[in-house]
Amino acid sequence: MAAPLIRMHDIHKAFGPVKVLEGVDFELLPGEVHALMGENGAGKSTLMKILTGIYAPDSGDIQVDGKAASIASPADAEKHGIAIIHQELNLIPSLSIADNLFLGREVHRFGLLDRKAMATRAKEWLARVGMEKLDPGTLVERLSVGRQQMVEIARALGQNARVLIMDEPTAALTESETATLFQLIRELRGQGTGIVYVSHRMEEIFALCDRISVLRDGQFVGTRDVPGLAFDEVVKMMVGRTLDARFPTRTPNIGSVRLKVEHVTGGMVKDVSFDLHAGEVLGVAGLLGAGRTELARLLFGLDKIDSGTVTLEGSVVTPTSPNEAIHAGFGFVTEDRKAQGLVLDLSLRENVSLPRVPARAGLVDRPAEKKQTRGLIDALKIRTRDMELDVRALSGGNQQKVVLAKWLALKPRVLILDEPTRGVDVGGKAEIYHIINQLAEQGVAILMISSELPEVLAMSDRILVMHEGRVTALLDAHGATQETVMTAATGGK
Amino acid sequence: MRKLHFLAAAAATLLAACSQQGPGESAPSSASTAGGAAPSGTPVVGLALSTQNNPFFVELKNGAESAAKSAGVQLVVVDAQDDPARQISSVEDLIQKHVSVILLNPTDSSALAGAVQSAQRANIPVITLDRGVDGAEVASHIASDNIAGGKMAADFLAKQLDGKGNIIELQGVAGTSAARERGKGFDDAIAATGMKIVAQQPANFDRAQGLSVSENLLQAHGDVQAIFAQNDEMALGAVQALAGKNKKVLVVGFDGTPDGKAAVQNGGMAATVAQQPEEIGKLGVETAKKLIDKQPVEKTIAVPLKLLTKE
Amino acid sequence: MTQVNWSRVAPLLQRLGSVIGLLLLFIVLSVMSPDFLTTGNLLSVLRQVSINALIAFGMTFVILAGGIDLSVGAILALTGAVTAGLMAAGHGMLLSMGAGLGLGLVLGMVNGALVSWGKVAPFIATLGTMTLLRGLTLVYTQGTPIPVTDTGFALLGGGYLAHLIPLPVVWMFVVFAVCGFLLRGTVFGRHVVAIGGNEEAARLSGVRLPPMKLAIYGLSGLLSAVAGVVLTSRLYSAQATAGAGYELDAIASVVLGGTSLAGGRGWLFGTLVGALLIGFLNNGLNLLGVSSFYQQVVKGIVILIAVLLDRRQ
Repeated sequence: MAAPLIRMHDIHKAFGPVKVLEGVDFELLPGEVHALMGENGAGKSTLMKILTGIYAPDSGDIQVDGKAASIASPADAEKHGIAIIHQELNLIPSLSIADNLFLGREVHRFGLLDRKAMATRAKEWLARVGMEKLDPGTLVERLSVGRQQMVEIARALGQNARVLIMDEPTAALTESETATLFQLIRELRGQGTGIVYVSHRMEEIFALCDRISVLRDGQFVGTRDVPGLAFDEVVKMMVGRTLDARFPTRTPNIGSVRLKVEHVTGGMVKDVSFDLHAGEVLGVAGLLGAGRTELARLLFGLDKIDSGTVTLEGSVVTPTSPNEAIHAGFGFVTEDRKAQGLVLDLSLRENVSLPRVPARAGLVDRPAEKKQTRGLIDALKIRTRDMELDVRALSGGNQQKVVLAKWLALKPRVLILDEPTRGVDVGGKAEIYHIINQLAEQGVAILMISSELPEVLAMSDRILVMHEGRVTALLDAHGATQETVMTAATGGK
Repeated sequence: MRKLHFLAAAAATLLAACSQQGPGESAPSSASTAGGAAPSGTPVVGLALSTQNNPFFVELKNGAESAAKSAGVQLVVVDAQDDPARQISSVEDLIQKHVSVILLNPTDSSALAGAVQSAQRANIPVITLDRGVDGAEVASHIASDNIAGGKMAADFLAKQLDGKGNIIELQGVAGTSAARERGKGFDDAIAATGMKIVAQQPANFDRAQGLSVSENLLQAHGDVQAIFAQNDEMALGAVQALAGKNKKVLVVGFDGTPDGKAAVQNGGMAATVAQQPEEIGKLGVETAKKLIDKQPVEKTIAVPLKLLTKE
Repeated sequence: MTQVNWSRVAPLLQRLGSVIGLLLLFIVLSVMSPDFLTTGNLLSVLRQVSINALIAFGMTFVILAGGIDLSVGAILALTGAVTAGLMAAGHGMLLSMGAGLGLGLVLGMVNGALVSWGKVAPFIATLGTMTLLRGLTLVYTQGTPIPVTDTGFALLGGGYLAHLIPLPVVWMFVVFAVCGFLLRGTVFGRHVVAIGGNEEAARLSGVRLPPMKLAIYGLSGLLSAVAGVVLTSRLYSAQATAGAGYELDAIASVVLGGTSLAGGRGWLFGTLVGALLIGFLNNGLNLLGVSSFYQQVVKGIVILIAVLLDRRQ
């Protein structure tokens, strides 16, 4: 057996009094795809930051190719052939692909940029990730997220990376882009590259990875070979207990039509019609760029509706601003909670009451506000010591619950959820599903956009499938399968 | 309603409690001696300068400092950076420091009356330097006669140009007494001749602005025989604007700063109406010393001006 | 976890930093200058600080909401000039002041409109209005000061409460109390901080941005006008060039007080402390007879330290 590319042994790291990593071992073999799993806050990203030289470990040793190595800076990591592909891509949108590929290591002759040489070499690099058709002169901002990711991988490979760390690489990818990425990962594996794959998506990990290492609360739980490994076993390793069910069940209590959308057109959304009933969860499936988020933005008054009508409980509403939409009875949990859902430097209490601050004549009613927040913390089981804590300090799952709490405080008639469980760990997901079910049982009409097919299939009563801005299918969730949804989502019949 | 009544009553009480007089200003306190001299040691004199961003006032300060040394007086210098509000603050600081006399070189003639009155209520006499203060009596005012200086410049040009020609005037910071008085002396004297002021524009006593304003005005007015700048800094800017232009234009400045004098010597400027800023500073300290020693002083002390030409 | 601790402790430390800085300065000056720790001097510094503080309170709202207002000094000059001009033209003191303050509010709202509807970056928008208003002030005053003769009006900036407390100091604390309540106790204040923290999240939560920005910049304009009226009263005249560079002092006070220039984090008390810090620094250095050249150096260093602290967050 070949010497491991990377061996990290007994790594300890603490920030002040808080121990983030306590004796973690991690090993990566050449030609291996190794999943690193654990709930948010388990220490995965800290471990990867140590491996890429951003943090120094307090104790423990790191070997590269069987030799002790010191990785004190990102430059050291690069020298050892270790590269990381971040969840938030690190490209400069206004520069071309070639410029990005050679950023900081431009090819030059006598101080002048040698554009020709860079373009030629960029072509070679792009070919290695199967993107030889791309013109290196294209601006990165014109590329889809999936292609941007390929460019980033090309950059890493161009720097002779032998260890690639991928952090939630498929979070923003469409199905076909994901397939392309997996194919590339398998090719790289065949060439002997070691890949650390950090993800919450179980299906992907089981499909792709050779081994799994699990961290929990900074402790190393264990490493397992994927073949023969049971799904429940991994979940148990991660959460320390067996979850009752991945998707909690709900007794359907579907009422009359609450929201009627007729021939709505605007932006890339074209002629969309559907009914949403009280107590119903209507899943919205489709590939990235199918117009799902755009539809939600139209309904919430963020973008202008060109034609068509929206009827809420019998009266026509055409919101032109979020403020109007909220007054009409809409709530909108956006897909990007950090950029759009939360004010990270405000407290939990202040975030929860942002859409409507309990107040009399413009003066904040602090006791009422605290009471409301307390009630929502209890109802949603938000884990926090203190409602005065900045939401920045909460875990992803808890942050997402705060976003939900914000809207629950308003008792919306229609709640739009856009990727409600993105970046939330397994335990947190189950809790959010539970909340969605409760809301539906209370009669809230829910429109749930999701890219995770199992989630859409299990949580929805009906599924609206979109493709290129149009509705291609409206399926009953009971009869639907991943295949039927995907067929409609790709425009097939 | 009741609340409103209460508020109104409270407001009325507050208003009644307001007054023009502050703490310790209602009557001379018994502790303070006339002149407010420090109880022991060397007497302290405060010098509140308008700005040190202009060589003229730096020279004034130098004159005051050397005079203070020989008179055995400690001099505290504060600088307002041309902001009247800041000058009021720094005068207040001098009052709090209980200096014996305040030498005030006002940023502006109209804004410092309150500060002068505050000083006087604290029994600190004020001597104004270079610029006066409207609306307040001061112990003494020491300045060049700017109106006479403006006239000197006009007379010089009239002689050089035989009473004929077009003139550009670069004005100082609008609202300052120096700008007003120099302008008035010059303009009135010119009006009595056959010469004509074809353009007047402020360049704020600043060399860079003097340059750009001159360039613009020279573009606009081709037939110009002379430029009068209300200080040397602007005049030097005008000289630079003329540099390289094959044109005979007489530049007359005001102040007689070292740079200005040098320019007169090398022919860049035709003349400067020289003030003697060091003399103003020196006389200020000497007059302050007289006040401390309880000797009588003149109400106004005119510091002579001198027209400097190459000869 | 670590983040939990630091997110609470770091801002607290930084907040206390400005207070500790002020206390240190206070102690040092008390020891070094016998004239410093006297009622007269302290009240005099408070009065010197009041103009800057009034502007800085408004600036705090703007910066908290993620903006900047460079036009405050220019608004001060124009509103002061208009107030003095109306009085010189024979109008009553209340009418003239009302016009001056109303003008300040409107000018501030113009800034708000440029920023919200015009979608101009606040720095550029207010840089433009600053230059414009400076010009209009020169046009209006013709560059010469407008003297004030009304003794009642002169009381506003030059009078005392109970023969002791200078009235500008009273205005400063009244405005401080009102603004503090506005920020902490009202929905408006909550929305200001939310906009600065995450404008998009605030908008998606139903906060209507254009009226909020109009109100925020309007408040800044109004308080600049208050400062303009008080300064005009204090100077017995309106100066065309009044308030030059005051925007920078106000911004410095806000930042010294621990409010993040990026918005979303800060407190009004800090701004008061920041203004006092600058005021005591100026006063102390004058009392100690430090050359004004060095005074600027010292002030610059203090501001840089504050900004570096802000960056560390």
